[in-house]
Amino acid sequence: MSNIHKGDVILQISGLTVKVQGRRILNGLNLTVRAGEVHAIMGPNGAGKSTLSQVLAGRADYEIVAGSAVYLGEDLLALAPEERARRGLFLGFQYPVEIPGVNNVYLLKAALNARRRQLGLQELDAFEFLAIVKDKMALMQMDESFLKRGVNEGFSGGEKKRNEILQMTVLEPTLAILDETDSGLDIDALKVVANGVNSLRTDNRAVVLVTHYQRLLDHIVPDHVHVLAAGRILKSGDRGLALELERRGYDWVLEEANAA
Amino acid sequence: MSARPDATPPLARLQPALTLLPGSAAWQQWRAATLAQLVTDGLPTPRDDAWKYTNLRLLERRELAPAAARPLAANALEGLPEAQGPRLVYVNGRFHAALSDRSLPDGLVQTSYRDLLDGAPPAAVTSPIDADQRIRQLNACMAADGAHLTLTAGSNPRLPLEIVHLHTGGGAYPRTRLELGANSSLALIEYQLGLGNADSFVAAVTDVVLDAGARLTHTTVQLAGDRTVMIDDAHAVVGRDARYAHRLVALGGQLVRFDLRVDLDGTGAQADLRGVLFADGTREQHIRTLLDHRVSHGTSDQLYRGVAGGRGRGSYDGKVIVRAGAAKTSSRQSSRNLLLSKEASIDTRPQLEINADDVKCAHGATTGTLDENMLFYLLTRGLDRETARALLTYAFVGDVLKSIEPEAVRRAIERRALGRLPAAATIREFIA
Repeated sequence: MSNIHKGDVILQISGLTVKVQGRRILNGLNLTVRAGEVHAIMGPNGAGKSTLSQVLAGRADYEIVAGSAVYLGEDLLALAPEERARRGLFLGFQYPVEIPGVNNVYLLKAALNARRRQLGLQELDAFEFLAIVKDKMALMQMDESFLKRGVNEGFSGGEKKRNEILQMTVLEPTLAILDETDSGLDIDALKVVANGVNSLRTDNRAVVLVTHYQRLLDHIVPDHVHVLAAGRILKSGDRGLALELERRGYDWVLEEANAA
Repeated sequence: MSARPDATPPLARLQPALTLLPGSAAWQQWRAATLAQLVTDGLPTPRDDAWKYTNLRLLERRELAPAAARPLAANALEGLPEAQGPRLVYVNGRFHAALSDRSLPDGLVQTSYRDLLDGAPPAAVTSPIDADQRIRQLNACMAADGAHLTLTAGSNPRLPLEIVHLHTGGGAYPRTRLELGANSSLALIEYQLGLGNADSFVAAVTDVVLDAGARLTHTTVQLAGDRTVMIDDAHAVVGRDARYAHRLVALGGQLVRFDLRVDLDGTGAQADLRGVLFADGTREQHIRTLLDHRVSHGTSDQLYRGVAGGRGRGSYDGKVIVRAGAAKTSSRQSSRNLLLSKEASIDTRPQLEINADDVKCAHGATTGTLDENMLFYLLTRGLDRETARALLTYAFVGDVLKSIEPEAVRRAIERRALGRLPAAATIREFIA
């Protein structure tokens, strides 16, 4: 990881075309993400935003019809989900699943050690691990009772999102894809989550924020903003595009694309 | 294909064994008559509704006669968790003094089933408690020994009492009876442990009577041998405001059925039943419960989990009866089952028969495979597929295992349960 430098290509998606149950959801999508960048992918509901997140993380029930995704020089789509995770790709779920009976902190420890093994680092013992987690929990303003609970078990919507970002800050991924992380958060929780994400903004990492609303971008200022609609990136721009989308909605982008 | 249900060579073969059993002439007479009736009726078959999921055809060629006494190695009990209290050991249904620790706590009085054999067979043994109790009757015919324990009113021993049933091959007919006096409380742990790999048949009966306000936590840990057919029949009568908790962990055996009947006999009586079965390999594990709400204000809660892998088979067949007059009854019944392979199967049949108004009853049953969303979530956190599957399987039964007490026994049982899962070693670190 230390050999990744600002500006290196982390993810290159070319012509990605994906079907779900026979229906074409992504249709020739192109996207390049470089180290040090934060990208926001915005778009109307049903545009394929979540499909993109899930496909990149390795969900099996999607049919890749055409195109490629290269992650740190490797064919991402050929890797199993767990191999992607160990190589530093993290998906923050829109709807984190509750897994009663699987302890939150043990999962996190196993996840971190799986990543460390991949990096050739020594696994952490319980003591070293707890020191890291407690540090990150303070950042995420989570109390220690979270450690003892089942994964997302009985968590409120906001707690689940915080837990996702906690996992991310502990795992320190090279590429974080955050799917609608802002949905269901009040303004205080949104700031905490944004703090967590911003703590990972370094020259050797990248973040892709998938979001429907602009408000998250007030707190995590993106370098690039893309409009995903009709299964493709229809328009890209800077922070200003997000503000324009907030003002004008998405229809004009679609009309512009149809006219072209 | 299978033998006719009225062809019962194994039961008929038992007749000579009767003459070897201790007991009065009255007993011998009752046994002979009862066994003759059993021979006529034959063993239960899946055509009997209560045996719909349990097929006993394995018994057609099995030796059912009580096993002769055999010397035991000093380490015979090393497969068990460490003793948590006084331990009574029965080998093939007969008391084994050398392996037992009889320093029973104050208030707990032990007599023997043998004492009953001098007089006439008592009604508690001979009178039917159920329409079909052929295996229970078979036990009554063949049992020659067993623990009879009475806890005096108000007693509350600190340590659990352990009863170990050790099976080494051949037939075994353990018979246990426990009566708790008013407002007393006890934890009873029963182990069914197989030694060696000989063909065995075990027909065990455990009777429990709880007087008003008594509380019993009864744990059955089933570690029968891989060539053991076992029918474990338990019956609890729960008095006014008394509470019967039962925990079942079914890990072993070739074909094992646990039959539990609970009669809520006094107002405010409670039953809290939890169990888990692991039917891996070619194992068959069956659970049948019958919960009888006889009077008002009773509560019953059933939580059963089944896991089947390989070509394993399992079933949960649970019936709740709410009698007329059992108003303010509250009853919950949950059976969830997990199939780890295409060849595995688990049947589930929760039944509810309500004859009273003003009752709250809920039941639910599911059988399915591992949740794909959960699996994907764990994979995206870098866990390998095998570990993720094992973890979810373990979590599936966690609620039941967590309810086992005391902690030392729970941990020992968890370790054993883990050992039954694929990729057990990789998930140990999660179960600290």
